[in-house]
Amino acid sequence: MKLGAAFGMAWRAIKGHKLRSTLTTLGIVIGIAAVITFVTLGASLSAAIVGDVGAGEAQTMNVWAGPEDTQGGGGPGFGAQPVFTEHDLDRLRNVEGVESVIPYGQVATTAVGHDGDRVATSGVVATTPAYFDDAEFREGGSFEPGTRQVVLNPAAAEQFEQNATVGSTVTITLANGSTVDAEVAGVLDSSEGQSAFEGFGGSPRIYVSTDPFYSTQVESPSQSETQRVYSLLLVRASDPETVEATQDRVRGYLEDESDAADLAPEDYQFEVQTSEELLEQLQDVLDRLTAFVTGIAVLSLIVGAIGIANIMLVSVTERTREIGIMKAVGAKKRDVLTLFLVEASVIGIIGAVIGTLLGIVGGWAVTTLLDFPLTFPVEWFPIAVVVGVAVGVLSGLYPAWSGARTDPIEALRYE
Amino acid sequence: MQDSDVAVSLTDVRKTYQLGEPVHALDGVSLEIPRGSYTAVMGPSGSGKSTLLNLVGCLDTPTEGTVTVDGRETSDLRETELARIRGEEVGFVFQTFNLMPRLTARENVALPLVFQDVSKDERHERAEAMLERVGLGDRVDHRPNELSGGQRQRVAVARALIADPAILLADEPTGNLDTDTGAKIMALFEELYDEGNTILMVTHERHVAEHAERIVHLLDGEVEAVEELSGAGRPTGAEVGDGSGAGGPGDDGRGDAEEGGERA
Ligand SMILES: Nc1ncnc2c1ncn2[C@@H]1O[C@H](COP(=O)(O)OP(=O)(O)OP(=O)(O)O)[C@@H](O)[C@H]1O
Ligand SMILES: [Mg+2]
Repeated sequence: MKLGAAFGMAWRAIKGHKLRSTLTTLGIVIGIAAVITFVTLGASLSAAIVGDVGAGEAQTMNVWAGPEDTQGGGGPGFGAQPVFTEHDLDRLRNVEGVESVIPYGQVATTAVGHDGDRVATSGVVATTPAYFDDAEFREGGSFEPGTRQVVLNPAAAEQFEQNATVGSTVTITLANGSTVDAEVAGVLDSSEGQSAFEGFGGSPRIYVSTDPFYSTQVESPSQSETQRVYSLLLVRASDPETVEATQDRVRGYLEDESDAADLAPEDYQFEVQTSEELLEQLQDVLDRLTAFVTGIAVLSLIVGAIGIANIMLVSVTERTREIGIMKAVGAKKRDVLTLFLVEASVIGIIGAVIGTLLGIVGGWAVTTLLDFPLTFPVEWFPIAVVVGVAVGVLSGLYPAWSGARTDPIEALRYE
Repeated sequence: MQDSDVAVSLTDVRKTYQLGEPVHALDGVSLEIPRGSYTAVMGPSGSGKSTLLNLVGCLDTPTEGTVTVDGRETSDLRETELARIRGEEVGFVFQTFNLMPRLTARENVALPLVFQDVSKDERHERAEAMLERVGLGDRVDHRPNELSGGQRQRVAVARALIADPAILLADEPTGNLDTDTGAKIMALFEELYDEGNTILMVTHERHVAEHAERIVHLLDGEVEAVEELSGAGRPTGAEVGDGSGAGGPGDDGRGDAEEGGERA
């Protein structure tokens, strides 16, 4: 029997039981949809981070003090405490191999207004102009330190009824209720995160100068004077080749000599990680998640396989008479076997295709919800279909075999 | 009689079923079916008629003795080879039609060719020609449940003939049909016989059996008598030949539509 003819007849049989066939595919659909969704999510996440962590950022260290037991697994800045004083920043700038040290702080706010339109905003980022060294501006440039200027990302500039542009004024309402007028110095070209601390995606962000906006202060243990204190730092190495050595020296200073060492809680340790390392950690988490989801998917596929096997057994029994007819007109064992195997595989393929489509929709939905760009892991689509066929063939083997060895006379007598 | 003139021969065939004590469905049957002959098998229920037909049709193998179909002995053939003979050397017509419910008349008739790897175009072409031959040229796209009993049996006959078999086997082909429709199927058999086909038919009814050249009477698995018919009860070839052209598809279509109503 030719495969084409087998497909034709199998398709006819499946179409004859639309609802039943659809329900049968559910296990496969769910399994494959879950995998495709998560693989899409993973690919998109990786692409978003790799996109955010530009080439130049391999030499940027993300520094914070975090709880000991997380080993940085909590993500960049997890559990960070305000421990780095201005004195620490100055000393770090003098560490060999360090090009710049950039503080990254949050100023608590309640709202930001522009041209009579107020938008609730829980905080703005306080930093120094060096933060924008690698950034592209749509218009204008960085704020000047010591001035009341702001930099907006496009999402922030466009959140007002009237787009904020360079030279216009935004009104920042601080958490304590006072308001500050600031001039827009620049609008960034893209809303992508400028550092790992920002997270991903294009939510509105407003950047201000630490001086005069940032006011979290502490008494420096070494200087015995009140200084600004930060919880997050970006340390740029001057040479990408020697990042590791520089990283060690930075960690050495922090652990042995810094104010931060005095200020940090007992069970805290310093995290000094390049964006690449953070990426690896994230990939680790993603891999573990993917393994988990794959486990669920495999379970689901097993359930799906049992479902197909069950339906095929029912189908073989129901069609005992048809098998008898086919054998009476010359069907060989192999023909009957082929017919049912093809039918099982077609169910598998249908499940795989529906599952892949659902998975694509799912991946799209999740990435849209989490607000980062969609990247499809195209190489997984053919794999999904192959898995579908494999599950179909495997689960169809026994039923097809039992159909093939049916005795024609018995079968023709079957009511 | 030369071997090549024999379509099927049975030599001392026994078929025994072991159900506690052995049941001899066939108990030493020897029979030769000449090519181009028309043989009817009669006998009371349980006398082994169907068993005989199944052995000739290679659906079953004898416990003892030999069955030879178109010169080939079937007892020592492999399953695959038996399947080939079922598909190419014999054509089966059953009392209950046994059509595939989801396939159209055309596809049902073409079914044996599917297992002979004939291309789709050729399958359908030959099936349509054969349906035309049995007077169903206008019903090719109908499914079995859209056909009357008589039409279904015609489809079954067309399917039995599609691979140009050495012998046409029919197990009570009119058993599920009313008298009129049965008579039309018998008329079709006459035509096929006149065209040179070999027919072996099982029936309960004397008047049906009388269409054949000879009647084999079975009793308790043994051949009780072989009755040669003069052919007086049968219409001549000429009459039938004319009838097939004029009273074919249109005639039957109308008649069968009414029967369909009754039967449902
Ligand atoms: N699979 C089987 N197992 C046991 N006994 C069987 C089997 N098939 C047939 N028989 C027995 O063999 C005998 C002949 O059966 P067969 O079907 O050939 O009868 P038949 O002449 O066709 O009868 P009917 O006119 O009722 O169709 C019967 O006694 C039957 O009970
Ligand atoms: Mg019988």
